[in-house]
Amino acid sequence: MHYIKRAFWTVFWVLLIVFLHYTLPQRDIARIVETEVRRVDFGENSIFWAGADTGQDGTGVNRDIRFVNTVRKTTYLFGLIQTGRERPMVYRNEDTGWGWPPYFKLDSSNLQTEMADNKSTANDPQWVVLTHYGWRNEFLSIFPNAVGVRPIEDPNTRLIPYFNILILIILAGLMLGFYRLTQWFRREKIDPIVDSASEKWDGVDAYADEKRAGFRGWLDSFKGKKKRY
Amino acid sequence: MILGIIRLSVVAFFVMLLVYFVLSWWSRSVRRKKLGIEWDEEIKAGDREAFIEEGLEDYDGSLRRKLIMGVFIVPYMVIGVLVYVVNFQ
Repeated sequence: MHYIKRAFWTVFWVLLIVFLHYTLPQRDIARIVETEVRRVDFGENSIFWAGADTGQDGTGVNRDIRFVNTVRKTTYLFGLIQTGRERPMVYRNEDTGWGWPPYFKLDSSNLQTEMADNKSTANDPQWVVLTHYGWRNEFLSIFPNAVGVRPIEDPNTRLIPYFNILILIILAGLMLGFYRLTQWFRREKIDPIVDSASEKWDGVDAYADEKRAGFRGWLDSFKGKKKRY
Repeated sequence: MILGIIRLSVVAFFVMLLVYFVLSWWSRSVRRKKLGIEWDEEIKAGDREAFIEEGLEDYDGSLRRKLIMGVFIVPYMVIGVLVYVVNFQ
């Protein structure tokens, strides 16, 4: 039981961290190479795509999707430390609309224009800070969804994720509150019921013992034994 | 767009309703227990039940209780701010 409990909570925390890593915004410093639109047929990876533009019909089996091809500065430790290398990165640019994740992004077309406006070449780079959520994974052909873009002068700036820190603090507070609620519920509402139920059960048990003793005694009377109590 | 925002508002409303009821029940219950402890440790005179009922009536009119209404207001405000920041800034 102890191991099952521990395994359950390990899985829970790992899933939560993975979920947050996918959903919370991250920022990359990148140089936009090209913006394009191409058709995508969704398959096994369909869960990693958002819906059609808000207000449009989303029932089709495939869709044209806006993409932004970039070269980005790679980082580690949640984007806090730059490695000094540059790697290609492709973002998709889709509305999240009123669904999940709750970015309420409705301006994909405008964002695509801004992206195109900041296009540059390797010889004369215009670096941008690109906010996005999601993962790039070549095995699944999935792309992070760009949410915002702004030009930046110094590509070696360290971006501190204040927004994520705030969200995580709020989330921790909510979880602590929920934990205290469940503890209170167990202490004040469940335990008294269980206690009174086990008292009742003790009573039933004692009564059964008494009755059984009586029945035994009655049976024993046939065998000429003496009553036992 | 219209359908999406209506669906979100309605679902959010029912979730908030549930949160509101659980929170106010919890809060009132905690208050009741605290009043009981206060009577047991400090007052120890008069009717315990009446003291608790009176305290709960005071609590019902308090700002503290009304703050729980924030459960309905805050999420809609957050959505509004997010829509503005993500799309129009």
